[in-house]
Amino acid sequence: MKLIDLAALDQDEKSTADIINAVCHELGFDYASYATMNTAGGDVQGYANYPDEWKIHYGSHGYHKFDPTIYTSMLSIAPVDWGRFQKDEKFNAVFRDAHDFGITSRGLTVPVRGPYGECGLLNVTRDCSDAEWDKYKRYVMGDLQMAAVNAHDTVMQSGVLSRALYLPSLSTREKEILQWVAEGKSQQDIGDILSISHRTVEVHMRSGREKLGALTTPQAIGRAIGLGLITPG
Amino acid sequence: MIIVIDGINQHLFTDILDEMYQLRARVFGDRLGWEVNIENGRERDAFDDLHPAHVVSINDDGDVVGCMRLLQTTGPHMMADVFNAILDGEPPIRSAQVWEATRFCVDTKKLGRGRGKNSISYVTSEVMIGSFEYAMQAGVLDSIAVIDPVMNRVLQRSGNAPYDYLGTAKPMGKVVAMAAMMDCSEERIAGIRAYAGIEHDVFLSEDEALALFARSKSPLPANQDHKPLTDLERYFVEQISASTTEDERMATLKLIETLTDTFSPEQKVALLGTPRAFAHEV
Repeated sequence: MKLIDLAALDQDEKSTADIINAVCHELGFDYASYATMNTAGGDVQGYANYPDEWKIHYGSHGYHKFDPTIYTSMLSIAPVDWGRFQKDEKFNAVFRDAHDFGITSRGLTVPVRGPYGECGLLNVTRDCSDAEWDKYKRYVMGDLQMAAVNAHDTVMQSGVLSRALYLPSLSTREKEILQWVAEGKSQQDIGDILSISHRTVEVHMRSGREKLGALTTPQAIGRAIGLGLITPG
Repeated sequence: MIIVIDGINQHLFTDILDEMYQLRARVFGDRLGWEVNIENGRERDAFDDLHPAHVVSINDDGDVVGCMRLLQTTGPHMMADVFNAILDGEPPIRSAQVWEATRFCVDTKKLGRGRGKNSISYVTSEVMIGSFEYAMQAGVLDSIAVIDPVMNRVLQRSGNAPYDYLGTAKPMGKVVAMAAMMDCSEERIAGIRAYAGIEHDVFLSEDEALALFARSKSPLPANQDHKPLTDLERYFVEQISASTTEDERMATLKLIETLTDTFSPEQKVALLGTPRAFAHEV
């Protein structure tokens, strides 16, 4: 039986709205939204920083019942560029209206699949030229993937009960590497100590960070110590 | 050449997927002797129902000669749920920037040795280039591939050696299975391309893939005289295209059967056999 310190999990937890806003400010998107589906009722829950008029229009026209950026994107493991929906009547129906509210149809959706098979979707839009979009997309895709999983986990783990039940399951390797970081070792040092490549160290570190819901390695170390997964160096 | 088939475009490629499942049955069931579920000469498992991305290689004759299946490690995947023996009881990697590659195989009957276009080595490289480039576009940095020692040696010899392995190799049927780690990077792709002599874009468009695949098949019986589809025919084609499970597909086929009087024999054969042929008309 493990004792779980809720306070350790609660360190300045970012809300989904904060993450959505940060995606726009830091990665340079016009608008962003996160959505997930309640599988039982089919309700769409989410956060968006679109203008209120558009949110009201979208909801009152029932677009959330057929918007392909939600329903079709769920079927992909990779981010879906909305260019793929160009011939989709449903997409065009939603975005013809969006245009009147000053919202571009240039965007993409990052689908996240969770451990229980549930799916979360991070949508972003940016009004720009074709060339700029292609270049830009490549540049931010990794960060978008991280933001998407972060937003999804934040929603899934909200609520005190689910937090209490949630203790990240870190592998021995992940704990070992975080322990060496806490001891002050560099990634290269750790690779040498454990006789593995620095790339392997990096993969385990990334996985450990995500399991702990941390954006940076120091944050992950803090949480891992707080949860008693590793000891202070 | 490579086509990536995912949950969004799979309705266009049911025939290609069917041939891919047959290839997987021959490789993983017959040749490697893994304990896989084979029905009607097709190997399919629960992960195929989760809308993975299939990276499929089609040769110049229009045959499916190689494939690989990609899944996110944030959700259900094989290392977590099936191959966990390889991890020696450790929890699996979970990262939005790591994908898992499983069911990686090439057709050793149709392909030969050497390094020419119809060789095991060439198609292996082509599938790898396709999956790494697809992963990179998605912002993915590393992949974990469940492979056997033969495939491992092919990778090591073709400028594509894994940089590490997760857990330990474990017996699986007639061979052992191991989890190889590979970075999805420009450097690795350049190495594979240099070794295989592949300089061109390996991806086919959806239309090109369908045209190439049709090359090896008998002429399509469907709608030869190009009569416009009736509303009822159109309805059935849409139903079959939209079906995501075998049960749904069978239900539609059964309905076509029961409406025998409404269709001419030719229409019926065409509808039952090749709904794909109509796909562009609906």
